[in-house]
Amino acid sequence: MTLKRRPRLVKGKFWRTESAVAYLFMIPASVFLLVFMFYPIVYVILMSFFRVNKLGDLVSFFGWGNFRFMFDKPEFWQIILRSCLWTAIAVVVKTALGLVIALLLNVEFTGKKLARTLVIIPWASSVPISAMIWQWTYNSDFGLLNHTLRTLGIWKNPPIWLAEPRSAFMANLWVDIWCGIPFMALVFLAGLQAIPQELYEAAEVDGATSWNKFRYITLPLLSGVLTVATLLSTLWTFNDFNVIYVLTAGGPGTSTDILITYIYKYAFQYLRFGPAAAMAVITFGILLLVSIIYARSYFREGVL
Amino acid sequence: MRKVLVVGLVVVFLLGVVMGASAQKKKVSVLWAEYDGLTPDYAANLESAFEKEYPDIDLDIISTPWDKMHDRLIAFVAGKQPPDLSVIGTRWLLELLDMGVVEPIEKWVSKELLDNIDPALMEGKIKGVLYGLPVAAGTRLMYYRSDIIDKAPETFEEMLQIAQKINKPEEKFYAVGMSGKKYVELTEYAYYLFGNDGYFFEILPDGSYGKCTVNSEAGVGALTFMNDLVNTHKVTQPGVTAYRRDELQDLFISGNLGIFFSGGFTAALLEQRGAQFSWSVAPMPHFEGKPQSTIIITDSIVLFKDSQAKEEAGKFLDFFYSDPWRLEFDKLVGFPPVTKSLANDPAFQKPVYQVMIQQIPGAKGWPLMPEWPECNDIIWDNIVATFLGEKTPQKAMDDAAQEIDSIRGM
Repeated sequence: MTLKRRPRLVKGKFWRTESAVAYLFMIPASVFLLVFMFYPIVYVILMSFFRVNKLGDLVSFFGWGNFRFMFDKPEFWQIILRSCLWTAIAVVVKTALGLVIALLLNVEFTGKKLARTLVIIPWASSVPISAMIWQWTYNSDFGLLNHTLRTLGIWKNPPIWLAEPRSAFMANLWVDIWCGIPFMALVFLAGLQAIPQELYEAAEVDGATSWNKFRYITLPLLSGVLTVATLLSTLWTFNDFNVIYVLTAGGPGTSTDILITYIYKYAFQYLRFGPAAAMAVITFGILLLVSIIYARSYFREGVL
Repeated sequence: MRKVLVVGLVVVFLLGVVMGASAQKKKVSVLWAEYDGLTPDYAANLESAFEKEYPDIDLDIISTPWDKMHDRLIAFVAGKQPPDLSVIGTRWLLELLDMGVVEPIEKWVSKELLDNIDPALMEGKIKGVLYGLPVAAGTRLMYYRSDIIDKAPETFEEMLQIAQKINKPEEKFYAVGMSGKKYVELTEYAYYLFGNDGYFFEILPDGSYGKCTVNSEAGVGALTFMNDLVNTHKVTQPGVTAYRRDELQDLFISGNLGIFFSGGFTAALLEQRGAQFSWSVAPMPHFEGKPQSTIIITDSIVLFKDSQAKEEAGKFLDFFYSDPWRLEFDKLVGFPPVTKSLANDPAFQKPVYQVMIQQIPGAKGWPLMPEWPECNDIIWDNIVATFLGEKTPQKAMDDAAQEIDSIRGM
């Protein structure tokens, strides 16, 4: 048996190959990533361990000082908890409603194309604009929501949605869900359409009920798409700044603040970049952990 | 194909000429506040008129809503891309000085401009150095429905008695407007605090600020009264924590409020929107036995150290502070004139201006300290906690004072 010898590299040959051209094409994107992604991430991590002046310049090494400053605030832990609750509820509801809408849109009916177009509208609209419209909708005296509830007799004295902590939280949550459902519905619809019809036909021949078909065909074959969609939704929802900032700016008080709005306040209203960076690093850590858990579950299922 | 190439080359050449021409112009950027009452046309007309007079200067007016001004300016400054000029709340000046980004302005503007501004309004002068020219300055006052209220109340106690008579929530008419949602500044609490002869901090003999005093008798008394208006007597609009000051203004203009505290800009808006009811203005009430005192708020325009067009920025300031442009600006925003040359203009002899001017001697301004934005938020969060029944007024203000003193190292 003869061993294959590795071809000797000829000096300068690489730059005449196609691989060299590929690397050259990758340079602009790599520079872009380095400058606009990696450098800011590294700088924020550095800021979290340093005292930082009001211009965002590093002053002196502070160790865990910024983290300790935030950990000592009871409000910080409430906000972490609220951020997790916000994300969990929103993602579960978006996934459930998105799946229901996708299943409905996957059925043939008159007006299906129009329905698909209408479903996209909340996602296609600018989130801040949508939040502003909802802000007026929630107005207790002149908003459409309470007026409709009173006129139809559904709720004689509906709450002043944005005035109380709980109702304000729910109001924010609903707007985030409303904006996010279309994405989930479209992704699930694409996944449903990739499932071979023959499987359903075969199941029908075997006497399977609708629920059995959903449980043993649809869900398993959609699991990959479900995993990716819910992961993306989790990451986006945890960092959803626009809805809360426009609707309530974290109020009343700080009762609807989540980590991202709290970071914004510390960085751009109080100019405390050190603690803000510490919270950003914590956010990064939480989302990295979530991504790792998802990725492990995704690859363990052998979908790839 | 050849034709396409030739046309393409000509277009590129022309673009290059245009860009080259504009590149020779000196660019001046101004971060501009959207005052209530100030129409978008004003900034557009100002920009084109200035560029007509100075064709070698490219003026860029960046309009920003007031409640976003601070955050947007800080984002520019922190990103090392400050504008050349910016309108600011003068209360932010200490913060900007702390960052070391503002330029003393005196040497960049004309002597005529400086001599034309009332020295009493030069709040932008810190330790003898002028950093900001006053853009707008005015005291806050009381607006009331003169078709429903015969005589304006002089004290808050009188105001409560009137409120209890005129309040009709079933008709969506609320006696007193109260804002609990964060918007720009903590003016609502300031009205009652100053009317109770209180202040946010003790003033030390050297003029600096000592400990926070919102938990003094005056501070707690003011918040107690506010809370009673909202939760005990229920004479305010419901859901105060969902209403910003600008939304209360809309409520008053639409005829749903009896009494409302605001600035001169509300009068301008009432006229612009053609309010269909009789209204009048009066000095801010005070508590029984306490001196009348309201808040005076000044906004300034500052020049940044990193500006590459300081001379051109100075030319813009001279242009903006000329009588025609200042007259239109002051009329639209509803503040009294900051320039001496317009003081006797007939436009400023209306009652709203007379009341604003008469309150100046007893008025107090915001604390000038770099930590004020954070202190403002702390006090506000505790006020909201009181409105929501989560804290008593004493506990709320004790917590606020403790946290503020801790931040300031007191």
